[in-house]
Formats: sequence, C-alpha cells, structure tokens
Amino acid sequence: MKKALAIVAIVALAVPVFAQSGGTIKIGGTWPLGDITGKQGSMAAQQAVDEINAAGGILGRQLELIVVDDELKADKGAAAVEKLVTVDKVDVLMGGMASGVALGQIPAMKKYGKIVLATGAASYKVEEALGSDANWYFHLHPWDYNQGASYAQGWDEIQQKYSAVKIKKIFLAYEEGAFGKASWDATKTLFGAGGRYVVDGASFKSAALGGGDYGSMLEVAKEFKPDLFLWAGYDADALPMLEQAKAMRFTPKIYLGAPPGWPVGFGTSKLSENVMLYGMWAPSINEVSATSKKFYDGFVKKYKTEPATYFAPLSYSAVYIYADAVKLAGTTETQAVIKALEATKYASPLGQTISFTASNIIKHQGIKNQKILQWQNGRMEVIWPFESMTAKPVYPFPKWK
Amino acid sequence: MKLKGSYIAVVAAAAIVIAFPAFLGAYPLNVARSVMTYMALAISWDMLLRSGQISFGIAGLFGLGSYASALAVLRGGMNPFASVLFAAAFAALVAFALGFAILRLRAMYFSITTLALMEIFRIVMQNLHDFSGGPEGVVLPKIIFDGYSPALYWLCLGGLFLTIGVSWYFEKSKMHLALTAIRNDETSARSNGVNIFKYLLIAFVATSALQGMMGAIQVQSYGFTTPDTAFDANFLMLPMAMALLGGIHSTIGPMAGAVLLGIASEWLKLKIPYGHLVVYGVIIILVILFMPQGLFGLARKAMRNRRKAGANNE
Repeated sequence: MKKALAIVAIVALAVPVFAQSGGTIKIGGTWPLGDITGKQGSMAAQQAVDEINAAGGILGRQLELIVVDDELKADKGAAAVEKLVTVDKVDVLMGGMASGVALGQIPAMKKYGKIVLATGAASYKVEEALGSDANWYFHLHPWDYNQGASYAQGWDEIQQKYSAVKIKKIFLAYEEGAFGKASWDATKTLFGAGGRYVVDGASFKSAALGGGDYGSMLEVAKEFKPDLFLWAGYDADALPMLEQAKAMRFTPKIYLGAPPGWPVGFGTSKLSENVMLYGMWAPSINEVSATSKKFYDGFVKKYKTEPATYFAPLSYSAVYIYADAVKLAGTTETQAVIKALEATKYASPLGQTISFTASNIIKHQGIKNQKILQWQNGRMEVIWPFESMTAKPVYPFPKWK
Repeated sequence: MKLKGSYIAVVAAAAIVIAFPAFLGAYPLNVARSVMTYMALAISWDMLLRSGQISFGIAGLFGLGSYASALAVLRGGMNPFASVLFAAAFAALVAFALGFAILRLRAMYFSITTLALMEIFRIVMQNLHDFSGGPEGVVLPKIIFDGYSPALYWLCLGGLFLTIGVSWYFEKSKMHLALTAIRNDETSARSNGVNIFKYLLIAFVATSALQGMMGAIQVQSYGFTTPDTAFDANFLMLPMAMALLGGIHSTIGPMAGAVLLGIASEWLKLKIPYGHLVVYGVIIILVILFMPQGLFGLARKAMRNRRKAGANNE
C-alpha cells in the first residue's frame, strides 16, 4: 500500500500549475540564457521594450517581454514555444541562437503560425525545415550561405579597393566538431570552386573541448604559406593559437578568426593587434551610426556592462522592428502585422538598414551579410562593408617581434 | 490484499497519466514528454546497474536509435511508427554484437568502454556525410502524427510504460536474483550456477533496445537529428542524476527522481531565468552528497526504523 501511495504521489507531482497574465502587447522570447549571446540578447530586448514603454508604448499599450531559457536544447526550446503561445498567449515570438534548438522549435511554430522574429539559426537546414509556406517567419540573422557569400564579396571588394591586398591561397584551420566541419565544407565549396583560390585546411581539437595543441595544424599551415589564414573554433582557442603561431613565427598576410564569440579582454592582449574577424557589430560602429550609439549607451547605463556580442543589437532591433510594424498596422492581428513587417526599413544599431527580402526558400530574410572587422589598438574596427567602415585595414599582418 | 492494493494504485496512476491530455495543454504535455524520456532512460540505466555494471553508453544508444529511426524513414521510406520498433531492434542488435566483447569487462573498464562507444557512434554519424547528413544531421519531411500533442504524448508514454514493464519484470522475475547475485559476489554467483554472461547480455540488450526506442520516439517527435543533439551528454548525465536522486536498484526510485528533477528544472527556469542551472546543479550535488541512497532508499530506511521502533514498543 505504501508503494501504491508513492506511485500516486509521483503522479500528483507531475501535474504542474501554470499561471496566465494579460493586458499588454506580449513578446515571447527564447534565448539560451546561460550563454552570453542569449543573456545579452534578452537583456537588449528588454532594454528596447523599456525604451518603447517609456516613450508611451505602442497603440497606447505597453509592451511586455516574457523570456524563457531554451538551455541550448531542442526539447526545451520547443517547450518554451508551447508555453509562450498557449500559457502566456504572446502576440509574437522572437529570439533564438542555435540552429539545433530552432529545428526543435519549428514544428511548434508551424502549429501556431505566430509571427517569429528569429535572431539566430544560421543553418540552411532550418530554412529547409521551414519550407516556403512559412510567411510568418522573419529571419534577421544571415543564413550560413549568406555569410559565406558575403565573405567572398567582402574579400573581392577589399582586393579591388586596396591594391596591396592580394589573396590567392586560403588556409582554414577548423575545430574537429560540427561547427568547424561545417565551416570547412562551406569554405571549400565557396572559395575552392572554379580554381580562383587555392584552398587547404587542417583540423584541430579545440581548447574548449579538451584540446589546445595547434602545433601540427600550424606546421601544415606554415608550409602552405597562405595569404589568408582563417580559423573556425571557439573563444578558448583565440589566444593559445596566437601564442603558438608566434612561437613558430607563423605570420600569414591575413590572420583571421571566426569564433561565435571572443574571449573577454581579448582586445587588451598585445597578441590581438591586427587580427581580423567576422562579425556583425562592434562598439566602433557608434561612430557611424546614431542608433548604435543610442543602443550602446542605453545598454551600458542600464546594465553597467558593455554589449559583447552582436546578438544584443540584433535582439534590440527585433523588438523595434516588431513595434514599428504594429504601429504601422494599427493592430497586433497577425496578417496585418506580417504585411507591415514586409514594409520594414529599420536603420538598425548594426550600422545597416534592415528590410526583408526572399532568400533561397523563405520569403522574409533580413540581414544577408556579415562584416569583416579587425582588432586595432584594442578596438574592433569595421573594415568592410565600406558603408559601415570605421578604419582602413592594416595589411599585412605584422611580423612577430 | 496488500498486493491487490498495489495493483489498483498502479492501474489508477496509469489511467491518470493516460488521461493527462484531456486536462493539460500543449506546454505541460511537452514538459511531460521530456520528463518521461529522461525517466525511461534513468530506469533503463538502473536496470543494468542492478548487475553492478555502470554503463555510460545511454546517450550513445539513444543517439543510435535516433539515427536508425530517422534514416529508416528518410532513406528506407519506412513508416515512422515502424521505424521506432526498427530502431529498438537495431540498438538491441548492436548491443548484442558488442556485448560479446564488452560484457567481459568489469567496473571502470566497462564504464569507459561504453563511454567510448558513445563517442564512436557520434563520430561515425558525423562523418557519413552522404548517408547521415554529417554534422548538420537530417531533417524529416514531417513529424509523426502531424505533431498532434496528445498523440506525441501517448507515444512517449507508451515507450515509458514498456520500459517500466520490462523493469518490473526484471525486479519480479529470476532476473532480479541473478543480477543481484552478480552484483553482490560474482564468484559465488557463478559457483551457484548463475550464467553470468547470459544474464548480463540479456540486461544489456534489453536496456539498449529501450534506449534506442526512446531515441527514435524523440527524433520522430521533433523531426530532426544531428550528432550533437542525438549524442548529447545530457542524455547520460541527467538520467544518472535522476536515478541517484530517486534511489538506485529499483523501478520506482528513478521514476521519482525523474519527476522531481524534471519538474524542478522547469519550475526553476520559470522562477529564476538567469541562473537556474546553477541552482539546479547545486541541488543535484547536495542530494548526492547527503542522500547517497536517494529518496527511495531514505524512505525505505525510515520505514524500517519505524517498524523496528514499533517492534521494540511491543
């Protein structure tokens, strides 16, 4: 009988109690809050909500942001969508970072057809899973193939503008996991096709995953004598790889890193000088964009810390884009807001105007390019695209002293 | 009479959980699916643990089942429901073949080998680009039952019921005696005529089939799989933590642990959005430090003390 009571108690515990609230225009956000991208992304979205509310809200109503942590897990991300839509009754969904989580969320998103402003999910697999009918899906972040194409375009334009910059041989050092392997496949396809560039590469075990010895990979790279040395790994690899490159006197003409995030304080290391990187935003954009400055100052004032990831201005933009569309539509009704979103022309803090056009499959793709940046005197400077440029590139990467 | 009461309670509890979709919305059903998946993995891990063998291969077999099911549907055109059964059979077959080699190992050698298997399965799936989709994985053309929440819930519940059923069979049949004898003293078990390899193989194959089946249910419910999500270490660590919290060497212990940790995780997330994982981790550490026998062990001890005290009073 005691066992019986225990079973009934377990079942009773399994019935959760869920509350509801109402009265405002509700924005449901899912981000990985344990990761800096999601943490700062959600903080920036809250900053935008507070700014809009302080200015009187939208259509006389206040905005309310409800954030649920997706924990970088597909099942948790899907549960978060179910909660936000069915329990909190949000008007719009936004956020996201990892493609794996987005893939898990898509079935639930399709079921409800709520407007989604996605700040992450770069994998083309996500676009395939969405299909061409998902007219409620507005993807702000560039797809992986958009990013690859923009890098190719960026290097073409840089070579045209600066005659000293000449790239023929590209070497990609990639971490041996999914992220690195995908980068290698994309680089081979994009730069290796047609014989315009000579592409080679080697893998390494990331320091983030128990590795950290880049010796053999750097030897292969040094032997190859690349014009552009590009590494795809994690923030933990940034400084040790530079240390080992310095020890080996490996000085490619361009040393470029493409981790999802950089280690805190990387810019203060002397080794960082003239290292290039791919990204979407840097505090230096404040000099060329008033919206960026407004966002940056507001973030620092509110949270007493600097935004360290482009997911912050991207998420901030998502809130403003939705708010502007609701204002234009005069309602939160889905079809009217979709129509208004299609007319978006938002001068974002990323230093570019966001509007939505078709990509390979979906109808509403926002940003299609990344930026090429360079660490100069401890600051991330934008060197391409030229309309957001904050400094000229320092080329070639200086010899080690 | 006592036995009858137990059966009635089990049937009542089963009826309540079967009826959940009648009064719960899509969100709690989704959370319940997640809890049930971890619960089934925790129980299956514990089933092999009853022989004294600590397997770190749960996530590997779960991931293998995910891929077997997804690829059977995508490449073989198999019915999604049939693919769940296929995945269970495939995981069982792999476990049967591997069992001949690894079940001769004991203690940490067995544990480390099963952990290595998980990594090998992941690397194989990551590198079979054309077949498994490589690091980007595969996306299914549609979700089983068109994503209808109650049906997905019942499918997962079916997998859980089957796991509980097999676990109870292990507890009530001579498997229990054999596995306990192996755990307590392998030499004396052998000298008493217990065919150690046979029982270990049965336990390893059965638990692998259940883990593969849950992986298949997961992939059919979410419509995609990648090496990183299918072989995620969470499918190893969380079930172990749940079993340890609830109490090992029983069916009910891992069940209690899964419900408590599963709901605590979701509740903490809603109450402490920033930092809930830290609190969750601290809870797990404290429980394992101060309640090594788990909740079920603690309850058993309390009941034994009460009974002893009652006998002394008489």
